[in-house]
Amino acid sequence: MEEEFQPEYGPRWSDQRVEWMLGALVLAMVALLLALIVTVFVNGWPSFAHNGLSWFGPGGNVDDQLSEISQSAETGAGYVYTFHAWPLIWSTILICGGAVVLSLFTALFISVFLIEFAPTWMSNILRPVVRFLASVPSVIYGLLGVLVLVPFIGNHLITEEQKSSVAGIISLTGYSLMAAVLILTVMIAPLMVSIFTDALASVKAGWLEGSLALGVNRWRTIWKIGVRAARPAIVAGTVLALARAIGESVMLAMISGSTAFAPNPADGLIFIYEPSRPLAPTIVKSIDQLSSPPAKATLFAIAAFLLFSAAMFSLVGWATRRAMSRYGAP
Amino acid sequence: MAQSTGDQHSTVEQQAELETGFPGGVVPPEQGNQPPTKAVEGSSTWSLIDRIGLAFCWFLGLLFCAIAAAIVIYLLIQGIQYLKLDQLTTPAASGFTEGETGGFSDAFIGTLILGVAVGLWHGLWVWLVEYGRPRPLARMTELTIEAIAGIPSIVLALFGTVIFTSTALGFLSRTSEGVVFGRSFFAASSMLALEALPLVVASTREGLNAIPRHVREASYAVGKTKAATTRRILLPTARPQIATGGMLGLGRIIGDTAIILVLLGATQNFAPVEGAPFPLDYLRGAGTSLTNFVYEASPTGNLNQPEKAYAAAFVLLMLVLALNAGTDLVHRRAKRVGTWSH
Amino acid sequence: MRIKTLAITALALVGLAVPASAGAKTTLIGSGSVAAQPVLQALFKTYETQVNKNIKFTYTADGGNAGIKDVQNGTSQFAGQARTPLPSDAGTTYIKLYLDGLCIDVNPKNKLTNISIQNLHDIYRGILTSWSQIGGSGLETTIDPVGRDTNGGPYTFFLQSVLNNEPPASNVNALTADGLVVNAVKQDPNAIGYAGLAWQKKGLKPVKVEGKTCEAKNISVEPLKYPLSRYIFIVLPTENPSPAVQKFVDWARTSPLAGETINKAGGVAAFNKKK
Repeated sequence: MEEEFQPEYGPRWSDQRVEWMLGALVLAMVALLLALIVTVFVNGWPSFAHNGLSWFGPGGNVDDQLSEISQSAETGAGYVYTFHAWPLIWSTILICGGAVVLSLFTALFISVFLIEFAPTWMSNILRPVVRFLASVPSVIYGLLGVLVLVPFIGNHLITEEQKSSVAGIISLTGYSLMAAVLILTVMIAPLMVSIFTDALASVKAGWLEGSLALGVNRWRTIWKIGVRAARPAIVAGTVLALARAIGESVMLAMISGSTAFAPNPADGLIFIYEPSRPLAPTIVKSIDQLSSPPAKATLFAIAAFLLFSAAMFSLVGWATRRAMSRYGAP
Repeated sequence: MAQSTGDQHSTVEQQAELETGFPGGVVPPEQGNQPPTKAVEGSSTWSLIDRIGLAFCWFLGLLFCAIAAAIVIYLLIQGIQYLKLDQLTTPAASGFTEGETGGFSDAFIGTLILGVAVGLWHGLWVWLVEYGRPRPLARMTELTIEAIAGIPSIVLALFGTVIFTSTALGFLSRTSEGVVFGRSFFAASSMLALEALPLVVASTREGLNAIPRHVREASYAVGKTKAATTRRILLPTARPQIATGGMLGLGRIIGDTAIILVLLGATQNFAPVEGAPFPLDYLRGAGTSLTNFVYEASPTGNLNQPEKAYAAAFVLLMLVLALNAGTDLVHRRAKRVGTWSH
Repeated sequence: MRIKTLAITALALVGLAVPASAGAKTTLIGSGSVAAQPVLQALFKTYETQVNKNIKFTYTADGGNAGIKDVQNGTSQFAGQARTPLPSDAGTTYIKLYLDGLCIDVNPKNKLTNISIQNLHDIYRGILTSWSQIGGSGLETTIDPVGRDTNGGPYTFFLQSVLNNEPPASNVNALTADGLVVNAVKQDPNAIGYAGLAWQKKGLKPVKVEGKTCEAKNISVEPLKYPLSRYIFIVLPTENPSPAVQKFVDWARTSPLAGETINKAGGVAAFNKKK
C-alpha cells in the first residue's frame, strides 16, 4: 500500500531501504548465532573425538584428568584428552534439577499467593522483593553463601559420625549439594514467579468466576483451574529457569564444593551433604587453562554439551507447550 | 485484571474497553481509576488441607522477604562502616593496610561504561522488532532470540574469547606485537549486550504490540511511510516499555559475573590502550567492574580486602535497588497516564 | 531529543575524562601469579609515586602459567610466577624477586602447635583422617583438609615440597582462592589448610612446621630454614626484555625502599640492602 504512493520528493528513509537494512541486521543476528554454535562445537570436537561416547561416562577422577590434560601441553609429550564427564553431568542433574523442582514448587505457591491471596500491602512488598532477588548478582549470592550458609551447614548440620563415615574419601564440610540447591533455588525462583504471575493474571476471569459460582473455594479454584490453564506458561518458565540454572557458573563455583565427586544417593542422608561440581563451574575454574590446546578443547566440549542441553530443553518446552495449547492460555 | 469474557463485544465497546481498561468502557467514578475491590471469600470455611496450603503460601512469601532483607542488612552492616564517599572517586591502588588502599572507583565507572556501551546496541533492536513483523524472517528472528535467551552466559564468554582474540576483531582490544589480547570493555559489553538482548526485545515487542491497529492505519492514511510512523509515533508511545526493557537488561547485565570475569580480565584499575583516542582507549582496554571487584576482594577472592568487598557489594546492591525502583516508577507512570500499556 | 542525548553523552564522556589524567606515560604490562599480586601491586605503587612518575603498571592476575604463556607470546612484558621454571618455559628468564612462605593454618580451637612434613603429607594424601591420630591437637574429630585447586601457585608449591608430586587425595577440598582457604579454616574447627604469609591474621593459627615458625625471619631458601619457603620470581622474555622493566626489577631487588615495601606487603625481602 505504501509503495504505490511515491511523491518526487520521497522520504529519506524509504520503506524498502529500511526494511532491507533491518533484514540485514536480522540476518547478521542469525549468522552470529550460527557462528557461536559452530565455534563452540568445532573447538570442542577434539575432546569428543578422542573420547567417543565415554566422554559422557564415568571413570576416573575428573580433577586428575583435568590436571593431566593441562600438564600434557606443558611437557610436550603429546596431548592427552582422556576425560570422563559423568560426575560433572550427574552433579549438574542433581543440583540444577533439584533446584528447578524446588523452585517450581516455591514459585507456584508464591505466584498463587501474589495473584489471589495476598493483601495489597503484602503484595506491594513481595513483588519488589521478588524482582530484587532476581537481579542480585550471583557474586553476592556466592559470597553470602560461603560466609553464612556453608559454615552453618558445616558446623551445625553435619555431625561428626557422618564426617568420619566418609573420611578419606571426601570431607563433608558445608560445601555441599544442599547449599548449592538452596541458593540456586533462591536465584531462579523469582524468574519463575514473574512468568507465573503474568500467566495466572491472564487466565480468563470467567473461568475462575464460574468455578467460584459453583461453590468451589478460592484455593481450589485457583489451583485446579487457574494453574491448570496456565500450564504452558509454567512449562515455559521451568525451561527458562532450567537453562539459567545449568548456565550458572560463578555462584556454584564458590559453593558447591570443589571435588568432582558424584554424590551417591545410596549414602542416605549424607547424600545432600556431599560436595560435587556441575559442568558450568568447571569451565570457570579452569578458565586460565585456555592457552593449552587440549584443555581448551575439553572446556569447549563442556560448553558444547551445555549448549546442546539448553537447546534440548527449549525444544522440549516448545513441544510441550504446543501440546498444551488446546487449553487456551497464552 | 478486567478481561473480556467469551461473548462478542461490538467494536465500539472494544475500543472503549481498550481505552479505559474497564468493561464496556464505563469508568467508575473517583477512586483514581482503580478497579472496584471485590468481596473476598475468607478462608475459615475451607478444609484443613486448604488452610495449610494457604499458610504455606504466607510462609514462603515471608521467607522470601526475610531472605531479601537479610541480604541487604548483612551487606549493609558489613559494608557501611567502610563505605566512604572517596572510595567511589579514588582509583584502586595497592597498599599495605586496608586503610591505605584506595577505593574502587574504577570498578564503579566500569559498571557504568558497560551500561552505556550496551545502550548503543539497543537502538538497533528497537527498530528490528517493529519491522520484522510481516515477514517470514520474523519467525527466524523470534527463534534466534529465544535461542540466544537460552544460552548459558559462560558459553557466551567462551565464544567471546575465541572471536575477540582473532586478528579481525583486534581493533576492539589491545594488540601488542601481533597478538591480540582479547579482553576489553568492548568485548565484554558485546557479549553482555547479547545476553540482555532477549529481555529488551520482549519488552519492546510487548509495547509495540499493545498499540492498537487504528493508530498505524491512521498514520498510513495520512501518507506517512512505515519508517516514519515507527520512528515518530510508535516508538515514542512505547517508550515506557522500551525503558523497562532497557532497565531489565541492565539489571541482568550488572548481575552477570561470568562474562566479566572471562572477558574483562583481572586487573583492578583501568588499563587504557595508549595511542587510541579517548574514549576508545578506555573501551579497548581492560579493567574491572563492581562485580569483578567484589569477587576478587572478598574474603573468598585473592585480594584480601574484605571490608572493601563488602562496601563494593553494598554499592552494587544499591545500584540494583535503584534500577528496580526506576523500572517500577516508569511502569507505574505509564499505567497512570493511561496509555495502551496493560 | 537527539540533541539531548548527544549532550548527555558528551557530558558523560567529559566526566570520564577526570580519572584519565593526561600525560605521556609508558604502560608496562604484566600478568601472572595471583599469589604475588599484593606484593607486586605494592611495589608498582611505590615505584610509580616515588621513583618514576612516567611509568604506569598494569597487572592481570590470570595465574602463573598463563602469565608465562603471555610472556612467551609477547602479550605481557613481564610475569609474576610462584614456582620454579619448567622445561616448557623456554624463552623466558626467571629472576628471583623476593621470598614468600606457605604457612600451615588451623582453627584457633585446635591446640596443635607443631606438625611434621610427614604428617602433612599423610593428611593430604588421605592416609591420616582423624585428629586423634595426630598428637597435640586435643580433638577427636575427622580432619577437613583444605587446599588450592590445580590452577594455583600455592598448590604446585605444596605439591612439590610436601606431597612429593603425588596428587592430593579426593577428600581435600580444593578451593579456588587463598581467601577461601583462609575462610574455611577460620570457620571450621576441624580444618587445616595452607596459605601464603600475607594472609596470616587473626582468626588463623599458623602452626610450626618441623619446629620452625612461619614468620618473616625464618623464611629463607638458602639456607633452608622454614621448610615451606620459596622464591617468588619475576619472569622476563629472554630476548629483548623491555629496559624499563629491567630497571624496575633492579630497583625492586636492591633498593631499601623496595625492601620495606615488600616486607610491609607480606613478602620477605631477599636481596634488598638494608637502610
